[in-house]
Amino acid sequence: MSQPAEIVAEQLTKAYGRFLAVDNISFAVPKGMVVGFLGPNGAGKTTTIRMLTCFMPPTSGTASVAGFDVFHNSLSVRKNLGYLPENAPLYLEMRVVEYLQFRGRLRGMDRQSIKKRIDEVTELCWLSDRKRWPISKLSKGYRQRLGIADALLHNPPVLVLDEPTVGLDPSQIRETRKLIANLAGLHTVLLSTHILSEVELVCQKVIIIGRGKILAQGSPEELKQQCAQRGPGARLMLEIRGPADQIRSALAALPGVDQAKVVSDNAVCTVELAGKIDGAMREQIAALVQQRGWALREMRSAGASLEEFFVQITDPGAAAAA
Amino acid sequence: MSTTLALAKREIAGLFYSPIGYIVLAIYLLFVGLLFSLLVMQPGAVADPGPMFQWNHLILIFVVPFMTMSLFSEEYRSGRIETLRTSPITDFQLLMGKFLGAMGFYCVVIASSLIFIIILSLFGRPDYMTVLTSYLGLLLMGLLMVSIGLFFSACTQHQILAAMSSCVTLVALGILFQAISYFLGAALGVSWAWLRTLRHVLRYLAIEPHMANFSRGIVDSQNMIFFLTGAGLFLFLTYVVLESRKWR
Repeated sequence: MSQPAEIVAEQLTKAYGRFLAVDNISFAVPKGMVVGFLGPNGAGKTTTIRMLTCFMPPTSGTASVAGFDVFHNSLSVRKNLGYLPENAPLYLEMRVVEYLQFRGRLRGMDRQSIKKRIDEVTELCWLSDRKRWPISKLSKGYRQRLGIADALLHNPPVLVLDEPTVGLDPSQIRETRKLIANLAGLHTVLLSTHILSEVELVCQKVIIIGRGKILAQGSPEELKQQCAQRGPGARLMLEIRGPADQIRSALAALPGVDQAKVVSDNAVCTVELAGKIDGAMREQIAALVQQRGWALREMRSAGASLEEFFVQITDPGAAAAA
Repeated sequence: MSTTLALAKREIAGLFYSPIGYIVLAIYLLFVGLLFSLLVMQPGAVADPGPMFQWNHLILIFVVPFMTMSLFSEEYRSGRIETLRTSPITDFQLLMGKFLGAMGFYCVVIASSLIFIIILSLFGRPDYMTVLTSYLGLLLMGLLMVSIGLFFSACTQHQILAAMSSCVTLVALGILFQAISYFLGAALGVSWAWLRTLRHVLRYLAIEPHMANFSRGIVDSQNMIFFLTGAGLFLFLTYVVLESRKWR
């Protein structure tokens, strides 16, 4: 028996006057998964999230979170939800602890559990040493973490995070991603972001939205495969020390290679191969290079990436021109 | 209930944090102090704090808008309304939390005038029951004024717009209507019935006549009802505005 999904949207639509910000989208986020919500700016990500978190009502369609309908049981949805909005707005005059106490009380938690949970979430979000700091003195990274701590405070089954790593420095980004990835299983997380590498690292499923519509859904691997099937496909980038034209013609002659292009030619030339390149083919290439006495410095796959797929489906014109 | 109180507590703390709160307090004390020393603390006069309370509203109609302007406007502008709206609180709890918080601060402001009563009691024997009813009147008047300020704050994200709109409304209720009804009274040689009705209506809608009764020690249900229903009306309108903003 399959588990009912934690977050379900069915034919969700939001219209501002005649402009359809979100156009009849349907998706499901299974329980315990971390799902990435990807899309270009203005695609309708934040609007969809605002509908799921009960900030604004849908124009038509339904959505449910943790089994509760967002329109009819809005209070129950909000009780089971932890939300980090974009730009994590906070009361700057409060101290970290005061803010968390306030948020705990708003959620109807009692004093003891608030105290316990504050200790736990500040530990989890690396805020323990800044508990007595006024929020105005915190850097953007710390404020973001405070927002995440607030979302986690009442241990909700569902978390919706809107761009949680924006504005953080690289080490903070890495730590935050680790934090989010660790939440999988016990919590269901919907993560909205621009950063594709983040999605690949953290999410088990990806939903891509563009111009108000869902363009693709699936695990990162599935989408990369779709990309390989659709567009230029997998490419192999090689760095070989040797004479450029000889290398080019030798590689182009190989069965399975559709095209060999010399990208740059200094002492070491970079060659881009397009075609059906699998593991056996790569071994063949390595053997050939060695046989001819050239030095193989680097061999890497390129092209069938999430970024490529994203660009393809969100703007077909750009991909065709590339 | 605890959510409402948590909101109210946070709101009062916020008002005490910002400099606006202290400016409001200072201006109020200055004005009431002036009233006190010029009208009440006269050698040989009766120890009657009445004039101090009767004209209190003149400063409050200018000062309360600045107290209430940031209540909702700041939440809209900073985006914190999103965090509030997605918390498990109802619109009613949000409204009452903000209102009670503002009223709490208002009570502190008017309670600061107790210092003058204490000074008066050192030199004479004021009628303490009158003082009590006067503070009751100030409290009821505050309910109306704060609810007006809250309403305009909920209408816009621009604090100054909220402040100006509340100020204009309060000036109308506090000064304008009364002035018009006074002049109408003076010009009532002409016996137009509708003018007389208008005069009565304006006189009812003016704050000062209601407050005057309280400052004289009279607790009249008519005055209480005016303030309570007025506050109720504006709180209801604020609730409607909050609801409607969701749909935009």
